[in-house]
Amino acid sequence: MTTTAPAPVEAPVPPSRPTVRSRGRFLLVCGILVAAVGLLLYKGLLSSLDYFDTVDQALAHRAQIGTGTIRLEGLVDCGTVRATRSGAEFSISGADGRRVHVVNVGSPPELFAAGVPVVVVGQFVSSTSRTFESTQIMVKHSATYVARYPGRVRHGAC
Amino acid sequence: MTAVVRAVDRFLGPVSLALVVLTVWLGLWVTPPDELQGDLVRLIYLHPALAWVALYLAFGLAAVCSALYLWPRTRAERWDLLAASTVEVGVVFLSLTLATGMLWGRPAWGVWWTWDARLTSTALLEILFIGYLAMRRVPADPHTRARRCAVLALLATLDVPIVHFSVQWWNGLHQGATLGSGLTFHIHGSMLWTLLLSFVAFTCVFAWMVRRRYQIAVRDAARELDELAAALTARRAEGVR
Repeated sequence: MTTTAPAPVEAPVPPSRPTVRSRGRFLLVCGILVAAVGLLLYKGLLSSLDYFDTVDQALAHRAQIGTGTIRLEGLVDCGTVRATRSGAEFSISGADGRRVHVVNVGSPPELFAAGVPVVVVGQFVSSTSRTFESTQIMVKHSATYVARYPGRVRHGAC
Repeated sequence: MTAVVRAVDRFLGPVSLALVVLTVWLGLWVTPPDELQGDLVRLIYLHPALAWVALYLAFGLAAVCSALYLWPRTRAERWDLLAASTVEVGVVFLSLTLATGMLWGRPAWGVWWTWDARLTSTALLEILFIGYLAMRRVPADPHTRARRCAVLALLATLDVPIVHFSVQWWNGLHQGATLGSGLTFHIHGSMLWTLLLSFVAFTCVFAWMVRRRYQIAVRDAARELDELAAALTARRAEGVR
């Protein structure tokens, strides 16, 4: 598509002040942006920037946590997974081997297995107990991917 | 130079399509499943490449163009149009990143979404650049619009390093980098090659989309000027009678 050359004109002069309407829309967009960003930051920072406590971190400040709802991360110990009427029971451990016993209400997700890191959401049953009641399990898989071949020993499996 | 540009314009589309088809074929039928995730892992041939293109190519380029526009010595309309084009394509890629991430997260983690540091900062980035697109629609003279959007793009790009380093700075559900720094790879064989190919394929798709979008933006800007000139001429003709 071609356009005919326009008659020579002076460069258009922008308005000396923005119109009330365009300034209003500009402020509206800014306002919505600030509100959306604020809401996102509030949601994201609600339970601190750290998404979970590891088993070691949680046991280190056990008194501070008490029976409050937290997210707890640990490695599911081999041979500890047991199905229950309402869900599952298993142990998770931190880097230095300390264990927490988890009683979960609800079925674990598809990739849940012994030897896999998980994040559980819930609370300790009392301020001194090492038993944790959870209502949600999230599997925290690593950034390592290994091809599945028949006969290969399963990486990370118990 | 013009011959190179013409060749790129002619072949970039078909080459991009071929690379994407090759990536999909390799990803779905040739590469093996993962020993832990099984066939779920095949989303790795989409999700990281989409994210990489959005965060570093699209929004990185938008930041550079915005800075060039704001600096008086290099100010030119083409930087504003190019920034707008890359942001538009970048928002598409980031939306696809979030969508593929959710499709992967539900079976792999057990949740569609959660407010960990990486996901939250990525959602924030999406909101900021959708805000950029909204800002472009606010009526204003071209220079005012370009200046506002350039400032917003630079502010929004501050979130990109936060997204990148979030998995290192904070405990989070999202895993770290599979292709680590210093060429430490946590993936091997055909899975690695297909993953690298996906980066090349989506980079080509990005380049093709930005090229097309920029051409449309240039034509739109020229048409606006023509319409304005015609309107002024008509108005002056009324005054003469």
